[in-house]
Amino acid sequence: MNIFFHELKAYRKSTIIWTVSLILVTLLFMSMFPAFARDAEEFKKLLEGYPEGVRKAIGLNLENLFSILGFYCYALSFITLCGAIQAMNLGTSIVSKEVREKTADFLLTKPVTRTTIVTSKLLAAFSSLVITNIVYIAAAAIIASQVKTEDFSLKLLILLSLTVFFIQLIFLALGIILSVVVPKIKSVLTVSLSTVFAFYFLGMLSATSGEEGKRYLSPFKYFDTAYILKHSAYETSFMITGLIVIVVAICASYFVYTKKDIHAV
Amino acid sequence: MNVIEINNLTKMYGKSRGITDISFHVEEGEIFGFIGPNGAGKSTTIRTLLSLIYPTSGSATIFGKDCVKFAPEIKREIGYLPSEVFYYDNMKVKDLLNYSASFYKKDCRKRIKELAEIMNLDLNKKIDDLSLGNKKKVGIVQGLLHEPKLIILDEPTSGLDPLMQQKFFELLEEENKKGATFLFSSHILSEVQRLCNRVAIIKEGKIVTVEKISTLKENTYKKFKVETKVQQDPEYFNISGVNNLTVKDHVTSFIFKGNINTIMKKIADIEITNLWIEEPDLEEIFLHYYEKEA
Repeated sequence: MNIFFHELKAYRKSTIIWTVSLILVTLLFMSMFPAFARDAEEFKKLLEGYPEGVRKAIGLNLENLFSILGFYCYALSFITLCGAIQAMNLGTSIVSKEVREKTADFLLTKPVTRTTIVTSKLLAAFSSLVITNIVYIAAAAIIASQVKTEDFSLKLLILLSLTVFFIQLIFLALGIILSVVVPKIKSVLTVSLSTVFAFYFLGMLSATSGEEGKRYLSPFKYFDTAYILKHSAYETSFMITGLIVIVVAICASYFVYTKKDIHAV
Repeated sequence: MNVIEINNLTKMYGKSRGITDISFHVEEGEIFGFIGPNGAGKSTTIRTLLSLIYPTSGSATIFGKDCVKFAPEIKREIGYLPSEVFYYDNMKVKDLLNYSASFYKKDCRKRIKELAEIMNLDLNKKIDDLSLGNKKKVGIVQGLLHEPKLIILDEPTSGLDPLMQQKFFELLEEENKKGATFLFSSHILSEVQRLCNRVAIIKEGKIVTVEKISTLKENTYKKFKVETKVQQDPEYFNISGVNNLTVKDHVTSFIFKGNINTIMKKIADIEITNLWIEEPDLEEIFLHYYEKEA
């Protein structure tokens, strides 16, 4: 437990910064909603002028864009992007931080197994994400209720917002496997930003192609907000895929890390 | 009982050499020196013992238990001080030491205070603000605070001023009296000579010899440099025990191992203008071992 608390404390600052940022992005987007809803017809005409490919790529859905939740979905695509970066940062730094700050020798000569170390650190990162999401969802609900023009389903808002959390979990898992496989990561941010953006653009590309199968390529496309709005549920096949990615990445990380040589610096 | 037993330990880094076929043992209560030049494999051996890296072949036991299989259990009784210490920067010394103590199931607060006092270490400073020597002190306190039975030191004195080194050695001797066993790695012969009961000399990944310090002292190596008025015949000093004999102009230099009186008489018989007798550095002793093998 001592490692868990130590790590959690180390994440405190970043958790606060990311949570506040996510809320600010939401605030920025949602504050535009009242004006947007007022001139709905004109915007619709304007946006219809965009080629369909572009609209799909940036996730514009004209059918429900003008309801508050539809508009929120649009904002969500940016929030997920930020959230993914946060999670990827956490995941990538779990092991690489020890190597970079040269503290691996300190921790690994203590009477703990490597499995315990990874578990504690993973749990701390997980907790950081849980805290971020609880605060974020509460804030999102409050913001939405302030700018709404008509009543909306809170359950749907939560379902939509939770996709951020699920995508974060996937990136957390990708981050940790990357950090145990790559011998030395000099800059966490470079690695995490490039991975996240690569997947983001992959997601955009797969959206324009319209092929369902390509959605499996990018975690950003595992949760189709239009589907969630319509069915109040997630798509099972993608949920399972996400879960498999997480489980495989984390198991592999444990396996590699317990077998790995920790070199002197 | 042997605290450490290393049997034919080999560690390869890919194809390059780490250590090859190393075997030695450390008995309970002794201070065991482990010397060799940089890159000889001292750290590799130590890191294998601590299961930071895993052996390619061979094995090692600590307290009679395999050092890989029982690593967490063994480490409860090990204190480790790495050659370079880096700790979580954004922490106070006190917090780091408490964090370190939290891994051991005992109350270490009193010991932390004692050690900090001996080492003259300010517990309320941030680790960021510490000088290299002070960071080293944090490392020392960190390695000793749980009163381990085995203390592994990897070139521990670098960065400590002579006064602190003195205090540090006293501290180690005190721990040793209480029953702690030491594995002391260093490339400085004098500090090993001062503290250790036995030493293993490692070179290019192989153990060259394991000797008692008392034996080493019996066959003391001395470096002689004799300046004479006329150029000396090299054959004059070529007696048993003389190595690396070179004559350059009026200066004859060599390493001597054996009864010092013999060589002193030889020197007394010739007209000299100057004389230097020095402790040879490690490299020169290695050279000697190297030649003996060839």
